[in-house]
Amino acid sequence: MAATPDGPGSMTLDSWRAGSLEIFRVGRGPRIGYLHGMVPVTSDEAFVTCLAEQGREVVAPCLPGYGGTSTSRDLRTMHDWVAATSEIIDVAGLNGAPMVASSVGAMLALELASIRPEAFSHLVLIGPIGLWRDDCPVTDPFSTTLSGQRNLLTNDPGLTASFYDGAAGEDPVVATIQRYTARTATASLVWPIPDFGLSQRIHRVSCPVTLIWGADDRIVPPVYADFFAESLSELRSVHLIEGAGHLAEWDAPARVAEIVTEALRES
Amino acid sequence: MKTVWFHLMPYPELPDDFTSEHRSVWVDIDPKLFDPAVGHRMYNDYIDELEFAAKVGFDGVGINEHHSNAYGLMPSPNLIAAALARTCPDAALVVLGDSVALYNPPIRVAEEFAMLDCISGGRLVAGFPVGTPMDTLYAYGNNPATLRERYHEGIELILRAWTSDEVFAFNGKYSKSRYVNCWPRPVQDPHPPVWIPGGGSIDTWEWCAQTGYSYLYLSYFGYKAALSTMRGFWNRVEAAGRPRNPYQAGFAQFFGVADSEKEAIELYREPAEYFFNRCLHVYPGFADPPGYKTLQTVRNGAEGMVERAAREASERAEQAAKKAARKAAQQSFSAASHMTFEQMVEKGYVIVGSPDQVAEKTVEMATDLNIGHVMSLCHFGNMNRDLAMHNTELMATKVLPQISHLWDDQWEDHWWPRPLTDRVR
Repeated sequence: MAATPDGPGSMTLDSWRAGSLEIFRVGRGPRIGYLHGMVPVTSDEAFVTCLAEQGREVVAPCLPGYGGTSTSRDLRTMHDWVAATSEIIDVAGLNGAPMVASSVGAMLALELASIRPEAFSHLVLIGPIGLWRDDCPVTDPFSTTLSGQRNLLTNDPGLTASFYDGAAGEDPVVATIQRYTARTATASLVWPIPDFGLSQRIHRVSCPVTLIWGADDRIVPPVYADFFAESLSELRSVHLIEGAGHLAEWDAPARVAEIVTEALRES
Repeated sequence: MKTVWFHLMPYPELPDDFTSEHRSVWVDIDPKLFDPAVGHRMYNDYIDELEFAAKVGFDGVGINEHHSNAYGLMPSPNLIAAALARTCPDAALVVLGDSVALYNPPIRVAEEFAMLDCISGGRLVAGFPVGTPMDTLYAYGNNPATLRERYHEGIELILRAWTSDEVFAFNGKYSKSRYVNCWPRPVQDPHPPVWIPGGGSIDTWEWCAQTGYSYLYLSYFGYKAALSTMRGFWNRVEAAGRPRNPYQAGFAQFFGVADSEKEAIELYREPAEYFFNRCLHVYPGFADPPGYKTLQTVRNGAEGMVERAAREASERAEQAAKKAARKAAQQSFSAASHMTFEQMVEKGYVIVGSPDQVAEKTVEMATDLNIGHVMSLCHFGNMNRDLAMHNTELMATKVLPQISHLWDDQWEDHWWPRPLTDRVR
């Protein structure tokens, strides 16, 4: 069941899992999905705009706990999260579409693709989480202060101001609660070690995959691009973005959008 | 009023340069700082002190649970309680307690507490803390998003295990057991009194007010700073239609007793400064992981900040901001770590003085906070065994007789253990 709005904008499904589901739709053209990372997507996120300007209809749902999508105590395990993501992909009309996914969103996309290989026609993954090497551990993003956490995500911490500082005109209490809920959702996905057995399933991912990594990623070191590359049989290319941190699509939105377009054209 | 001799069991030999060379006393403290030979001496000294406290007349002995923590070296309070159950024949065993979410399955808590209640002949107080973020989330890897739900489910399982007359199946979200059957069962009927240690969360007050459990405010920052928290708790109790029975609440307080105030200051300066300036050196990045607080607590905090911001804008903003920052600093762990002993005494972190002075301040504290259970910290920091026992003996023989009568003629303690009358020990 596709439930995206008819034109650009956002919509909220009020009856999704006894709560609400927020989906943004920006631009016109062939549809592409975007699963955000540790910071929830907004309709005016620069990367979404850049992607839409490449002639795409970007459909970007907020994952549970992020933005206008309800949090849920029922999401206790990775299985719960993947089931919810699968449902969101269907509701958003993204089944079989190409998908750009970042950080924790990329982890969920890989988990879903490993048990539902037909879910995506192409995956463009930005700094995915989900593998673990003892000799090169993924950084714990929550063993630091709030400003420290912010500094881990992007090279320019000012880029995430709307999330961390609140948008102009926004109720500060509502913004604080939304920020806390989103950070809690991230914690539930990465705590204490973001390895839920993906390495045992990732070989099932059969769609083409493009990997993008911020060269300055301080959460998932860029060497993880090699670890993922080893496991993905349909890997098309790996792109290291100089000057970008973990959320490379925030630090370099235009460049990442170009890579996405190029990857899909070749695919 | 009941007074429990409460031990944190701090490591006594943290180096002088600890705070400059190490980032935290908790979670990622350097394992190489622990000397097992010191540990051997320390544990035996500390058990001696607890046994001595019971012997000289404290109503109970108290212990708690911490992990990867140099100021709280009781990963397993039940081990210590088992030793004390045999050697302290009359005191209440106040275990504050087992961090329920860390036990898998939580039926283990029901079993071990039931063992302690049987061994002691019904002298156990069952404490159920959520546990700090450092213990539960960082040291033990629980997920903050589900910690509190896991905690509440665990308590439900424990209480059913203690009270059910039949074997039952428990199909929880976090614990599933086809056959719950707690052998042994606790002596106390229907179960040992439940105390909930907390750090001031409104959700915890509300829960204690609704359920009738005893709320224990475990602050290290003195009774003066605790007034607003305890007033908030009692407001919730009254709103729930319950009486202001002081025995439904307790408070932890450091004490230093000597023959004179001057001597007390001389005796207790070093261990107090060791505790507050070294043991509370906690890396701030461990203090507030997302998900640990309830959304109600987050909302209250945010609303408070908004109200404060509005007030400051209309008043003297700069001055108010500094005052707020100082207030917040007073209540944070790392903030306490650069204080002089005089400041600690002035703020009420430590009650020091002659027996009469300490008794007077303790009565003032208990009356102001309306508490019936005092968790008395007579050992702190790197205090040696002899001084701890000296402090304990003065407290027991010269202070307790002046304060224990408080509340006797007004309130009944429904939260104190009810042991067997014909105990074998």
